[in-house]
Amino acid sequence: MVRDQHQPGSHNVFPAVINTRSSRKSVSDRAFALLLFLPALVTLIVTTSAPLVYLAWTSAMRIDLSMPWRSGFAGVDNYVKMGADPRFWNSLWLTLVYTASTVVLQVTLGLSLALLVLRIPRGQAALRIAAILPLVLAPVVVGLFWRTLVLSPDVGLVDVVTRALGLGSHNWLGDPQLALISVIAIHTWQWTPFAFLVILASLSSLPPDVFEAARIDRANAWQRFRHITLPLIRPALVIVVIMRTMIALSAFAAIFAATGGGPGTATEILNLYAYRTSFSELNLGYGASLAVVLLAITLAVSLVMFRVRRAR
Amino acid sequence: MPRRVRTLILVALAALLLAVWAFPVLWALLTSFKTERDVLAYPPTLIFEPTLRNYRDVLFGSASLLPNLASSIIVAGVSTLATLLLAIPAAYALARLEFPGRRVSGFYILATQMLPPVGLIIPYYLVLQKAGALDTYWGLIVIYLTFSLPFAIWLMVSYFEDVPREMEEAALLDRAGRVRALWYVILPQVRGGIAVTTIFVFLNAWNEFLFAVVLGGNRVRPVTVAMFNFISVEQTLWAKLAAGAMLAMAPVILLGLLAQRHIVKGLTVGAVKGARR
Repeated sequence: MVRDQHQPGSHNVFPAVINTRSSRKSVSDRAFALLLFLPALVTLIVTTSAPLVYLAWTSAMRIDLSMPWRSGFAGVDNYVKMGADPRFWNSLWLTLVYTASTVVLQVTLGLSLALLVLRIPRGQAALRIAAILPLVLAPVVVGLFWRTLVLSPDVGLVDVVTRALGLGSHNWLGDPQLALISVIAIHTWQWTPFAFLVILASLSSLPPDVFEAARIDRANAWQRFRHITLPLIRPALVIVVIMRTMIALSAFAAIFAATGGGPGTATEILNLYAYRTSFSELNLGYGASLAVVLLAITLAVSLVMFRVRRAR
Repeated sequence: MPRRVRTLILVALAALLLAVWAFPVLWALLTSFKTERDVLAYPPTLIFEPTLRNYRDVLFGSASLLPNLASSIIVAGVSTLATLLLAIPAAYALARLEFPGRRVSGFYILATQMLPPVGLIIPYYLVLQKAGALDTYWGLIVIYLTFSLPFAIWLMVSYFEDVPREMEEAALLDRAGRVRALWYVILPQVRGGIAVTTIFVFLNAWNEFLFAVVLGGNRVRPVTVAMFNFISVEQTLWAKLAAGAMLAMAPVILLGLLAQRHIVKGLTVGAVKGARR
């Protein structure tokens, strides 16, 4: 999976050949490359970067569609307001809890499952297909499945199991604490297969002779895992952590479908809060400033993660 | 512990996992063939008289899903096509050609892939509202490029890098010309990659919800939004909901199974290559 067959230096081999032929040729080659590349680049600048500039501008405005006469320039008012807004701090805290717990759960579960499945003589193919199912489903549909068939009181699958086990019936999405656990479970259910498949692919590509050597050296199973397997699959683990953190930070549809951010604000992560502020309360200025904070967090986290990755 | 017992335990554990992932989906499939009365039976019943009524209702009833399926096909189809037209040449340039700013723009594309959608939806809403373009196809198609284009470029880069350089050089030495070499020699080599990219881009566009629910409306309402509206209006018609969900998700399940061997590559695109560049 981690494809290392291309040496970094090899990128330049071919253009170098061209360059020696004639400099005129090289100019036309550059023009050709730009001709191929620029349409996509310009499209991305226009469709992603320009809107973000507008978002930043919007965050400095008071835009309240329910009271349009009050709209106008607000400067940093929205950000000042945020400091004293308990709902904002609540959403920030929930974002942290949601992101950290889902990522940790996915990686530990995915890793354990991959180690387990690797030792199963047969049936890996069936497992792989089962693992793909949640991955391809739309998160909004997953949220709806769980809200109705899995978590609803009395007839939901989970409630049927807990009742059969004598643990009683619970209002899984209606109780504030259970609701947070439930949306974390939903995310973990849908995306653990990602960690599982990526780690499994990495594990399957490890050279078997390393383990043979360790076995001969009488390393026990834990030592082999800790000192051989773990360092070897570290790149895959880092990729999983980075990508899952990014996805968790932009999670929206499954929570929106399962709880809508509720009950109250019990599952209202920053995404949900920005959405509700903008499109339910129609306060787009404040919503934009919340989105800017989210953007800043995403940027900071991704910078830190890529720094960690590079440091390896 | 004897070896056979251990193997047995492992297999049992694996079967349990299989159940945890497959079961909710299979349960929904089963539910879609039940009557609403059977759905609410306790304990849940596995033996029931299957009915196709739910499917008939969601397809041809008063709240038919057909217009929504059509919406999804148009939005996902056109945005996929536009994405491929832009991404394939760009990916080739990134993977194989030298031009000023190549590294920086590679990073830039990677960064755009990480943007949280909530950050984009507010400016799009304001601009499209001013332009009177809410609830239009092109509004949705344009915003879908924001996530599908970076993804497709990076996935295609990984396929272009797999093409042996010698093939390209040979074609060029034959004075085939850049364009002809790309069209007749390189593109056929990445046919498989293009197919996989098409599948994933289409799948992501089909599953998108946030953009669709904010920028769509009565005219443009993809299936994901229709499913959500269904439950807001009809709290208790689960069998119908399940049938609708099965119809809405059938295309992506099929595509996912079709591309299953490439799914790890599709999932980790960008991260593998990205950090090294």
